[in-house]
Amino acid sequence: MRFSRITSLLAGVALCAALTVGGAQANSNKATAGLTIFAGSSMTTVLPEIDSGNTYSFGSSTALGTQIKNGAPADVLMSANTTVPASLYAAGVVEKPVNFIRNTLAIVVPKSNPAGIKSIYDLTKPGIKIDEAAASVPVGSYTLQVLNQMGINDAIQANVVSKETSDANVVAKVALGQVDAGFVYLSDYVIDPTHLTLIKVPAWAQPKITYAMAIVTKSPNQAAAEAWMKKVLSPAGQAIFVKDGFLPIAAPVPTITKIAPARATVGGTVTLTGTNFTGTTSVTIQGVPAKFKVVSAAKLTLTVPPKAKSGPITVTNPSGTATSKPLTID
Amino acid sequence: MSASITRGQLFSRGAKGGTVLLVAGSALGRFVDEAAAAPLPLSDLAYARLLVGAELLASDFYSQAVAASNSGPVIGGYLHRALANEQEHYQSVSGILTGAGLTPAAAGDIDFSYPAGTFASQGSTVKFARQLEELMLGAYLGAIAGIQTDSLKAGLAQIAASEAQHASYFNATGGTKAFKNAFPSPLTIDQASNALDAFTA
Repeated sequence: MRFSRITSLLAGVALCAALTVGGAQANSNKATAGLTIFAGSSMTTVLPEIDSGNTYSFGSSTALGTQIKNGAPADVLMSANTTVPASLYAAGVVEKPVNFIRNTLAIVVPKSNPAGIKSIYDLTKPGIKIDEAAASVPVGSYTLQVLNQMGINDAIQANVVSKETSDANVVAKVALGQVDAGFVYLSDYVIDPTHLTLIKVPAWAQPKITYAMAIVTKSPNQAAAEAWMKKVLSPAGQAIFVKDGFLPIAAPVPTITKIAPARATVGGTVTLTGTNFTGTTSVTIQGVPAKFKVVSAAKLTLTVPPKAKSGPITVTNPSGTATSKPLTID
Repeated sequence: MSASITRGQLFSRGAKGGTVLLVAGSALGRFVDEAAAAPLPLSDLAYARLLVGAELLASDFYSQAVAASNSGPVIGGYLHRALANEQEHYQSVSGILTGAGLTPAAAGDIDFSYPAGTFASQGSTVKFARQLEELMLGAYLGAIAGIQTDSLKAGLAQIAASEAQHASYFNATGGTKAFKNAFPSPLTIDQASNALDAFTA
């Protein structure tokens, strides 16, 4: 699968047959029956790994959304952003979208890195040739967001020599050495690093890249589509995504509904009852970090640390922080 | 705005901003007001995002150092104090972004990673604290030099002074000179970004 993907991409570019909006179906895998799934091109490898029995059409999420809106016979849309499914949901074209995976923006350079690029700031140097996706497709939109957030968009755009309709096309041009660097998803690199070298986009400038999927309202295969979505969200499905460089969908923000006991002493144990404690990264009492143990998604115990003062308890996971009523420390 | 703003003036301005009194005496009110008063250049907002990321790293490090509980009472106390300082700095520099109508990164948005054994002992913790505080000081000095909005500079200088105090204490505790150069070097935004990114997963 991995070999065939990069081979296909390289051949495609060599023949000047880059995908276009209308060419999204050209990348379809029609060898199997089952659901018809329209998906962003960054999922070209991973989705058949989850289930090879579906028919996939890969391309720009924006273009695929337009095709579905125009009546294309898809059962499920899997988009590299949340905005396309949200707009289709608002129009009644798809059912309520569900977030299912996250990704990270990255820079790739040819394996030999002939331009000697070490960081994103090197891309501002005169003479560097950069490839990026058009702002109308998700990866291009995320790229623009990052460059604006870093205040270097003008300098980077002066070096952009081509704009593509998908991350796959950027990967191919970089792999062929036609450009010095390109903006893609981290998963594009992880899936096939053979011809590429990875340069990180700084974490402080990363956009929130969340993928969402939705069942097409007119799909005659509603039950099968729901089963597919459950499969994608299952631990096994998420593990395949993670293996290919994606990030698991963030846990919901925790909540705290009860503290027991309400008074405690240093070294004592306090039990919190609430929701979404799985994945907790820190617990504090009035700002002082406390050792904790996640007993279950609904139960967490903590040890009152030295120097803790009376005050609210916070529980933080990657999605946010819950704050309790004050704990009294005697 | 004058750089010699009084605390009373700060409170007064802060009250207009809502939550400012939570960190009374800090630069938060000033940052929120300045960011809200007029559009900030993209490059200034980039500095603010970088500093928010740096403060999240510092808060994460000191949180883990405190939770590890392997330092003596004196150094442990300074780790607590440094944590509180960094959390207040975070609130302040976040105010630049919230004042501009943007959402700053928050705890959990960035996953940090540390050299193996960073929290294994008091010595290893202090060693990383020295490295961290040199980064923080350089980042703030670079921001003061590079940021275009003059009215933000006084608040950033206050934070730089705080980071310098941290650096001095942990340098002395770690067995090296508490201070050396008369003019500590600023980091350019790309230097600071690359240094920060070395500690992200």
